[in-house]
Amino acid sequence: MPSATRPELASHPPVHESSKDEATRFRATLAGLVGQPVGPAGGSVGPDPVNQAMIRHWVAAFEDRNPVYTDSQVAAASRFGGIVAPPLMLQTWLMATPKITGIAERGGSPVESDGSGPLAVFDEAGFTGTLASNSEFEIERYLHLGETISATTLIESISDEKQTRIGRGYFVTWVTTYLDEALAVVGRQRFRILKFKPGGAVA
Amino acid sequence: MRVGVSNKNLDWHGVKVGDALPPMVIDLTATRIVAGAIATRDFMPVHHDRSYANSQGAPDIFMNILSDTGYASRFLTDWAGPGAMLKKLAIRLGIPAFPGQTLSYTGRVTATKETADSGIVELEFKVTSELGDHLSGTAVLDLPLTRSHA
Repeated sequence: MPSATRPELASHPPVHESSKDEATRFRATLAGLVGQPVGPAGGSVGPDPVNQAMIRHWVAAFEDRNPVYTDSQVAAASRFGGIVAPPLMLQTWLMATPKITGIAERGGSPVESDGSGPLAVFDEAGFTGTLASNSEFEIERYLHLGETISATTLIESISDEKQTRIGRGYFVTWVTTYLDEALAVVGRQRFRILKFKPGGAVA
Repeated sequence: MRVGVSNKNLDWHGVKVGDALPPMVIDLTATRIVAGAIATRDFMPVHHDRSYANSQGAPDIFMNILSDTGYASRFLTDWAGPGAMLKKLAIRLGIPAFPGQTLSYTGRVTATKETADSGIVELEFKVTSELGDHLSGTAVLDLPLTRSHA
């Protein structure tokens, strides 16, 4: 990840009063986003229950031969009592079904948005690039086939503007809570992305 | 490829602070990056479309973070075996991973502790490529206390 450095206002020469006001207003807008939900109000529900087909696809991609993910006999005799999903597939179960048409024009956003999402303010201000930097999982239990998972996501913090290797931007941190059908927590994830103005080099 | 590792359970009693995990090496190709992106349902074009990646300032497509967590969990359970439960995993990305690179995974045990019915192991790990540090991370695993308790 690009290393974080100084906030813009501290590291730049004095700016014209009006653009300073603009920066202050933008900063206030961002402060208002903290605590706001990301994604659909009330949270999102995985489009498919935990299933062997997606697990098989996932373990093939990473060549993960752990038998508790695909071998029902080994899994039945294990502490898990049956096939379980790889624990870090948690995020995958909730990924939106993409609308492929126009995905590049939408900056990689899998679905069309009405422009009212909390992160739209970054795109409107030219911070159209998105790069993930941190992912932290806490797993309460592994998931079994047939379970439907839902999640709620709240913005936890937004950094000051930073100069990074790939351009100027803001680090946005959100926390997702993953729930089973009984609304018991099965895992939590803290995820950080950089919203940046494309133009620099990635490496 | 290490053969057979994923069917053997590691006994927590044999794990010591400072133990090194068996290294894992991934020769990264465009196919691996695309396979991981789609298996994790991440359709961001930077992970499958080179010209789009170029437009974002990247020299090529690069691995998505969901694939990074996927490979990391494989690295840990290849060592610990199918009886291990991953309790926590945290990664911080450094230099992106592009096709043609070799990713080298190394890790070590930083702490062990015993609870009523399980053995906890804390680890730190990192992934390096020809370009430098790709990521660093920490993890917590819950291991069976006896071999009979897979």
